[in-house]
Amino acid sequence: MRYAAQKTAQFLIVFVIVTFGVLVAMRLGVNDPARRMLGGTATQANIDAVTAKYHLNSDYFTQYFYWVKNMLTLDLGRSEIFSTDVRTLLRQKVPTTLLLTIYAVVLALLIALPVAVLSAYRRDGLFDKSAGFFSFAFVSIPGVVLGILLLLVFSIHFHWFPANSNKIYPWDNPLQSAKNFFLPTLTLALPISAIFTRLLRGDMIMTLQSDFITLARAKGVSPQRVLWRHALRSSVFSLLTSVGLQLSGLLGGAVLVESLFGLNGLGQMLLESLLRGDLLVIQTATAILVVGVVFTNLAIDLLYAVVDPRIRLARALG
Amino acid sequence: MTLITDTTSMTPTPLDVPPAAEPLPKRSRSKIHVGFWIALAWVAALLLMAIFADQLSFIRLPTAAVKNHGRSTAGYKLGPGWNAWFGVDSTGRDVFSKVIYGARTTLKVGLWSTVIGLLVGTFMGLIAGYFKGTYDRVISIVVDIMLAVPPLVLAIIIVYRVGDLQQDRPGNPGILKWFTRTEQITVVLSLLAIAPLARIVRALTMSLAQRDFVLAARSVGAKNFRIITREILPNLIPAMMSVAFTGLALLISAEAALAFLGFSVETGTPTWGKMINASYRDMDKAWWATLFPSLVLFLTVLAFNVIGDRIARHYDIREAAL
Amino acid sequence: MAGTGTAHLHTADEALLRLENLVVEFPVGRTGLKVNAVSGISLDVIPGETLGLVGESGCGKSTTGRAIMQLPRPTSGSIIFDGNELTKMSGDSMRKVRTNIQMIFQDPISSLNPRRKVRDIVMEPLMIWEVGTKAERAAKVDATLEEVGIDPKRAAESQPHQFSGGQCQRISIARALVLDPKMIICDEPVSALDVSVQAQVLNLLEDLKAKRNLTLIFIAHDLAVVKNISDRVAVMYLGKVCEVAKSDDLYARPTHPYTDLLLKSIPVPDPTVKVLATKILGEIPSPVLPPSGCRFRTRCPFATDICAKEEPQLRDIGGEHFIACHHPIEHLA
Repeated sequence: MRYAAQKTAQFLIVFVIVTFGVLVAMRLGVNDPARRMLGGTATQANIDAVTAKYHLNSDYFTQYFYWVKNMLTLDLGRSEIFSTDVRTLLRQKVPTTLLLTIYAVVLALLIALPVAVLSAYRRDGLFDKSAGFFSFAFVSIPGVVLGILLLLVFSIHFHWFPANSNKIYPWDNPLQSAKNFFLPTLTLALPISAIFTRLLRGDMIMTLQSDFITLARAKGVSPQRVLWRHALRSSVFSLLTSVGLQLSGLLGGAVLVESLFGLNGLGQMLLESLLRGDLLVIQTATAILVVGVVFTNLAIDLLYAVVDPRIRLARALG
Repeated sequence: MTLITDTTSMTPTPLDVPPAAEPLPKRSRSKIHVGFWIALAWVAALLLMAIFADQLSFIRLPTAAVKNHGRSTAGYKLGPGWNAWFGVDSTGRDVFSKVIYGARTTLKVGLWSTVIGLLVGTFMGLIAGYFKGTYDRVISIVVDIMLAVPPLVLAIIIVYRVGDLQQDRPGNPGILKWFTRTEQITVVLSLLAIAPLARIVRALTMSLAQRDFVLAARSVGAKNFRIITREILPNLIPAMMSVAFTGLALLISAEAALAFLGFSVETGTPTWGKMINASYRDMDKAWWATLFPSLVLFLTVLAFNVIGDRIARHYDIREAAL
Repeated sequence: MAGTGTAHLHTADEALLRLENLVVEFPVGRTGLKVNAVSGISLDVIPGETLGLVGESGCGKSTTGRAIMQLPRPTSGSIIFDGNELTKMSGDSMRKVRTNIQMIFQDPISSLNPRRKVRDIVMEPLMIWEVGTKAERAAKVDATLEEVGIDPKRAAESQPHQFSGGQCQRISIARALVLDPKMIICDEPVSALDVSVQAQVLNLLEDLKAKRNLTLIFIAHDLAVVKNISDRVAVMYLGKVCEVAKSDDLYARPTHPYTDLLLKSIPVPDPTVKVLATKILGEIPSPVLPPSGCRFRTRCPFATDICAKEEPQLRDIGGEHFIACHHPIEHLA
């Protein structure tokens, strides 16, 4: 538990410094933040009310304290520029980005698992070599280019998928939702699936050479079964770490993909608030992205500690 | 670590006679791959065309309007062909020459940001990995913080705020006005490179600092500065060369992504990301204006990745260390 | 076994190096636990002597060697070299003193910077201390290289990986010699080498020792290697000294049960000799939580209650032979 407490403290420090940094970055050099937040047509009474609510006349530490307090009580304020509650705004946008990210990770795993197993099974065979080639290409390809190519081929040439993926939730219209989310998901998933494939393949080749696999094979367990049951199980942890490490890039990629495919999520909201200069929404959106990255990584770290005491000890020692 | 078997000492020789000079054993290194030369050729060709674009007659000025039989080609009225190899864009400008002039900006920004990121990241990683303790803790937190914000988000927020502060509003600092958009983009991109590089250098330094030759240097009286510059830094160079090219590839991608989202260099200076942004909504009408810059971007990024990968293999740098 | 006790030490002015109650501990991560690498050992080396330091891996023998160099500084205890108390010395004067004590490491590859020319590696100490003129330095490096049997011309144009393991070890020796030290700590200098090469490097060390009047500390896990080169041998177990004796005496009458078992585990190249059934029981305990009393008791065939309660002190059993054991092995006179 000492370990868990230490880790949580470490992540909290990172979280506090980052969100405080974002707050300062957003308000530094802004003469009248309330006026900026309310837009040009605001009345003085309105401005005074907002200034009082966010303590905009105090120092940054006080402002941060009240910002955190407001966040914790889910009192996120009202964006005059979007003319809606920030909470309502988030309720519309966050699920899209969340779905997109989860879809991407799941799809990446669905691609990576069989490819890695087949590659490791016939190491340096034709399949392994071509999988290696594609992995390299997908790791290299810039997100913009991958998105453009997918759009060009599947939406403009074949008309299989819409070019503008107006978001539709799966619970409203499952088929249309799947169609709309497919290309954005693929754009995000292919590069990370390549990363997962390389990782898993390396892991499996290592595991296949280890003694317990030789033993399993000697006992007469079929090679396929060895790969799926034994080798895969020991690779789960490195895969989890990799998901944690990729998350930050994945959320950044989500901003790009949402913009490219016109998917109305958190990234779009961030870009729009930047265009309109809504400091409040920018800050909230960034904070949510950081929360996502920091706490997923914390969760993965703690999961280790719970599941595998060896790793807990090794980490404590290392 | 495999030991080299002692071949010369197998036969007992009197100790005062130095062993006979033998041919130097060749280091077994993987052969340089064809892919490496293709990648190098691509980068060299692009670089040369970008540098000498003004002198080369087959490259139009990116601002020159392309005429087709004397008529304006604005609105994608000319596809790829002899007149304009990559076709024209919505304003009737030659896509090929814009791609070449775009390479100028992209490569310049990418190279400089890699250099800055490499210098700062290496410095941070060396300090953290060599001195450990408090230095390491502080630098590690800084690195964790930089990695906690999605890189693209970090970049667009900084570029947005700097642009905001450059405007003539009361209270805005004047100094920021000195920085051009190109310089801002370069610095922001280098910021993205610092944290991952610092992390890599820290890990490499830690493992090198444990090697006996560092202990040996200390026992003959070398001070920290000498150990860092003479013993550790030279051993980092092969890995850093590989990382530099991979990083360059990533930063060029990031630059394109930023430009695509509308955060790019000065208006009027073409970049690949900007070109894609300007034309991708019209892909159904004129695929060439989007596809060619995209492909050139991809091939360039791929080329730098191939170069980085080949260097890593050449020096047998394991990915685990990175 | 407990190396606590100083009965075996010479008088202070006789010894070139004198360790008293040396303790080295390392923290285990941020757990608050610590590794008791060296737990209060006392040793000394008289000028011109070779002291062998043997024990299983993890017994603290290498840590002791490094603690003498103050790399890192020991947790407590005193180290007196040539009349100077090293543990109280400032960093800068320590740097100066360190040139009188040099080290040779186990891994010949790891101990030479792979990206420098061999001659530059040997030149480095002279550059650091700015010894003599450029020509004098060059002459000294070349002479030293020749002394250890390395061609200076080849050394000037080659990197360490172009030499064999045995040659790399010679280069390490040259680097150690170039500052004309009084003492060399050899940390398992031959255990990574082929057996045929081992003898050559050992011979080289012996020759150099005689020629340059060096004092050596020879650390090894293999008693057979130590036997020939050492004048005196100290046996270590889990951070403590358990037996100190003249080399011949130790091999003739190993009195500590641990030494006895170590000696019996040396393979004898004679098929008619039966491998003795006596084995050391189990694995070496963790230095994080060492056993109470005598640290060897958990694996000792003769251990009794007293061994858990009381830590044995080093005591004289005659003929400059010292042991720390409650149940020493009796030898017929």
